[in-house]
Amino acid sequence: MTYVLRVVLAAFIVFILQVTVMSKVEVAGASPDLMMVMLVVLVIDRKPIAGIIAGFLLGFLQDLGNASFLGMNALAKSLVGYGIARYGRDYLPDNILFKGLLVFIACLIHDIIKLHITTSFDSADVIVAFFRYSILSAAYTALLAVLVMQIIDILPRRMVRSGGRY
Amino acid sequence: MQIFSFLFDRHLEKTVLAAAIALSVFMLTRSEDSQLAAGKNISAFLLEPVDRAEDYFVNARKLSAENDSLRERVVSLQYENERITQFRDERNRLRELAGFREDSFYVFLPCDVIARSSNRFHHSITVDRGSDAGVLPGMPVVGYRGLAGRVTQVFRSSSRVLLLNNKSVSVSCLVKRSRVVGVLAWERGTLFSLDYVGKEEDVRQGDTLITSGFGRVFPKGFPVGSVVHSTEEKTELSRRVGIVCMTDFNKLEEVFIITGGREWEGGEAWLEMEKSRREKEKADEKDDGGGGEQ
Repeated sequence: MTYVLRVVLAAFIVFILQVTVMSKVEVAGASPDLMMVMLVVLVIDRKPIAGIIAGFLLGFLQDLGNASFLGMNALAKSLVGYGIARYGRDYLPDNILFKGLLVFIACLIHDIIKLHITTSFDSADVIVAFFRYSILSAAYTALLAVLVMQIIDILPRRMVRSGGRY
Repeated sequence: MQIFSFLFDRHLEKTVLAAAIALSVFMLTRSEDSQLAAGKNISAFLLEPVDRAEDYFVNARKLSAENDSLRERVVSLQYENERITQFRDERNRLRELAGFREDSFYVFLPCDVIARSSNRFHHSITVDRGSDAGVLPGMPVVGYRGLAGRVTQVFRSSSRVLLLNNKSVSVSCLVKRSRVVGVLAWERGTLFSLDYVGKEEDVRQGDTLITSGFGRVFPKGFPVGSVVHSTEEKTELSRRVGIVCMTDFNKLEEVFIITGGREWEGGEAWLEMEKSRREKEKADEKDDGGGGEQ
């Protein structure tokens, strides 16, 4: 299977998980953004163009789940994807905790963009929603991202030890 | 050209980013209805393979349900068949007591049509079974829906069958409902007539015609056709009855030659079915026992 096909398949699976499972693991009204985790994992070692395209497509896929703001996630994620690909690798040490921090910041920026669109740039509403939900949601997503990245780091080593067999 | 070079060579990243932002903003600025419609259309397009897979599983579930109901029907028909066989045996015993000949089940020999005559006044077909398979001249031939014709010539591995749509063929028939007897004769195309039916006889449109068994050329009770019109002619003594045959003679691909009747002793059919049922039960028990041991 080619890389692109694998990514598309993974995106669909993550999208389905996001729509079905993530709403059930809410903590105090905040749920993790699996698409953001996938975006960070995908674009952290790639060129900014790949970041923009991956962000746009993942965001657009997420928008299809709730088409009343079609383009909102696409806009937010393409900007975040560009930012991660452009600055993430250069300015952050290669450490899982720093990657978690990167996801946390990315989520906050993503939420700020989203909140501005959904509240029609009403600063008071943005601030309230940001402190009420965004920080907790970003922390939740960052924790999940650390876990996922740790698993992704471990898997290839296991594969090497078992001679490429699972 | 310079502008393309400026956009795509020198500032590709920024161009792609600007395009993504522009596209997103364009989508956001559309009315909510058109956003929802676009989202719905794109989702439908993307989820089409998923829908197809879902349909497949739904159909599989439907087929499974249909299979279950058909199984139930098979069981009920099996029992009905057993009851009918018992009645038949009983009838045969009574016929024997009354001095009549015993009825028999027919043995059908399936054949493929391998040739068709091109003579428009002598409609016949050639089938792939001959004297090697026990075919004899004069044996009746039926299709899936009704009587088709009679074997006229037999070779080693093929036979010629004269179809009913010939001027030289006449079949004695009964109207199934009113038991009126007549002789079926071909007129033209797919239309036949039932001759020698009295003016006062009860023959109606839609009645089914079956073979009468008179003369023992064709066995009794095989469907032949249905009445399409039945009119009373003032100047004639008989009634004009138009018939359409059940068998489509232009589309015959497989036919069955009735090679004989299977003789049944009293109760033999029932015993045979009982035996096969017991064998089946034994096999099922064996299977269950084997599964348990594993």
